[in-house]
Amino acid sequence: MKLRLWLLSLLCLGLGSAATDPQAVLRAIVDNQRGGSVRATLTLSVTRPDRQTQYVLEVVSDGNERAVTWVKAPPREAGQAFLRVGDNIQLYNPTLKRVLRLPPSGRSDSFLGSDLSYSDLAGRDLEQDFTPSIGAETEGSITLELIPKPQAPTPYGKLVLQASKPGFVPREVLYYDQRGQAVRKITFAQFAQVGGRSFPTQTTVEDLLRPGHRTSVVYSNYRFGLAIPESCFTVRALEAGC
Amino acid sequence: MQQNFSGMAALPRLAWRNLWRHRRRTLLLMLVVAYTTITTILFWGVQDGFTQSVQLGNARFLSAPALITTPQYFEDPDPEQGLPSLDFLARIQTQPGVNAAAPRLEFPTLIRSAYTADAAKARGVDPALEARVSNIPTAIAAGRMLEKPGEVVLGQQLAERLDVRLGERVVLDTSALAGPQALGLQVVGLVQSGIAPVDRGTVLVHLQDARLLTGLQTATGVALDVTRGQEARIAEALQLVLPQNIRAYDLTQLLGGLSSAIGTKQSSTFLIGMIFSLFAALAVTSTVLVSVLERTREFGMMGAIGMNPPRLATMVTLETVLATSIGWGVGLVLGYALNFWMATQNVLGPIFASYGAAWEILGTGGEIYTAQSPLYALYAALTIVLAAFFSILIPARRVLSLNPAEAMRTE
Repeated sequence: MKLRLWLLSLLCLGLGSAATDPQAVLRAIVDNQRGGSVRATLTLSVTRPDRQTQYVLEVVSDGNERAVTWVKAPPREAGQAFLRVGDNIQLYNPTLKRVLRLPPSGRSDSFLGSDLSYSDLAGRDLEQDFTPSIGAETEGSITLELIPKPQAPTPYGKLVLQASKPGFVPREVLYYDQRGQAVRKITFAQFAQVGGRSFPTQTTVEDLLRPGHRTSVVYSNYRFGLAIPESCFTVRALEAGC
Repeated sequence: MQQNFSGMAALPRLAWRNLWRHRRRTLLLMLVVAYTTITTILFWGVQDGFTQSVQLGNARFLSAPALITTPQYFEDPDPEQGLPSLDFLARIQTQPGVNAAAPRLEFPTLIRSAYTADAAKARGVDPALEARVSNIPTAIAAGRMLEKPGEVVLGQQLAERLDVRLGERVVLDTSALAGPQALGLQVVGLVQSGIAPVDRGTVLVHLQDARLLTGLQTATGVALDVTRGQEARIAEALQLVLPQNIRAYDLTQLLGGLSSAIGTKQSSTFLIGMIFSLFAALAVTSTVLVSVLERTREFGMMGAIGMNPPRLATMVTLETVLATSIGWGVGLVLGYALNFWMATQNVLGPIFASYGAAWEILGTGGEIYTAQSPLYALYAALTIVLAAFFSILIPARRVLSLNPAEAMRTE
């Protein structure tokens, strides 16, 4: 009897170590989303129940903490630029010819009227703020449940992240409030193969509390893995470019 | 000379007797003065009580009875201008008049829920000390006060606007010495004070969390509980034991615009009080004038038997002063009794509360009591002074110009 129990314990331990590590899966999904350093053109389409607005943006990013974005079209918005270094966001206003630091009160403001906020641009790391667990797993897909760590700076109660296998390619993120209601959905599509990663070149953000409110971001003319000069991530680059 | 003196001494007795010969008229006179005295006392009691409620409400909920901070922070409330050290804390706690001292770290923040965000001013507090300098911990209507880091207490209306409930999480974003920082905190208490700025804007966090978010390792100020009414004197005295670059500010300085608004309001209120007394004195004078007109024949008779017009006029003035003094005395007893009752029972609170948000903005809270002051008796005495003045000016002058022979023929 004792021997049987001992064998059963060993079997359980063996199964445990063979199971998918949620932290590793999350890292793989996030790595796919990062894509590394990039120069690209972005088409930002903001859909509202009564209208649709399209912006053309040029973006340079080191793939981690730093990015600079210039607005190229429509003409009315052209010339605006945004510099992100970690959580610091600075804005260039061509009318005022001034660079302004985004105050804390402005961080939830909508980026160019879209469903993305400036906080979203600051992009805190999912690995840092959430504890993942495997929700469901099949041969072709995996679902991660992400629960915020104590004092993590997220107002959401839970995130459910779906990815396809192999490669843990991100497909969808559902944001739930703290009462279990889904409030926001991000969908990824059109993947580019970059250094063994599947980078989603089309992202759609939906506000589930307000039907008809949707934002899509499409990458084009993208070049990954470039050496980005340090001068790109300076205030001067906001006006002069790099 | 002796005869003249005794004659003058007889006048008050005569005036007193005259009062009770015309009992109904005298009672009417006294009633007018008593009514004026009661309303004057209540008017000032309510007025001062309301002002005190506004000041106390604002001090205990929005600011503090006194606050120690740097002049730079007082001018520009940015955590970067906070206190360089808290070494003085132990020293000031032992100063006379200082009942409690609690360090606070206030900072502007963006507070986010899953649905929306709002700008607010967060107050980092020591949960064990804050209740001694603020009324907010006693105004928690749901949940409890902070106990440890990782928790937040919100104003009820702010929580409703953010759509967060007890036990749920909000995120605080700020940028100060530590650069942009954010922290998720669990809502453990909701404040409902009846004061609009408190219910709309309260964000209480643990001092440790405030230090983490801002990067300031001390505090932006030290809130003091000091003896009521002595705020300015104690703040001045504390200056002697404080380091050179730190100042103690009293309630009036902390309330700033509100204090000057209250000062302006009080001078205009004094004018209203004056007008009040003026009309009451005119009512008394008109009653006296009617009585003089009715008693023309009587005055004629008194003149004929040897009382000269100046003494007659003095008697009329004395009658007025005696009647108004009795009315004033009765009014004082009843007025102060009523005022005492309203100073101990929250009679006015529910009445003011029924006016809704308009009063909440003033920061009075749900309890409004009348104030008590011996000065109110003096304000009410103004009616007597004015009544005496007018009776000398009008009815007594009429008596002075009286011709006894003609007056005796008057029907």
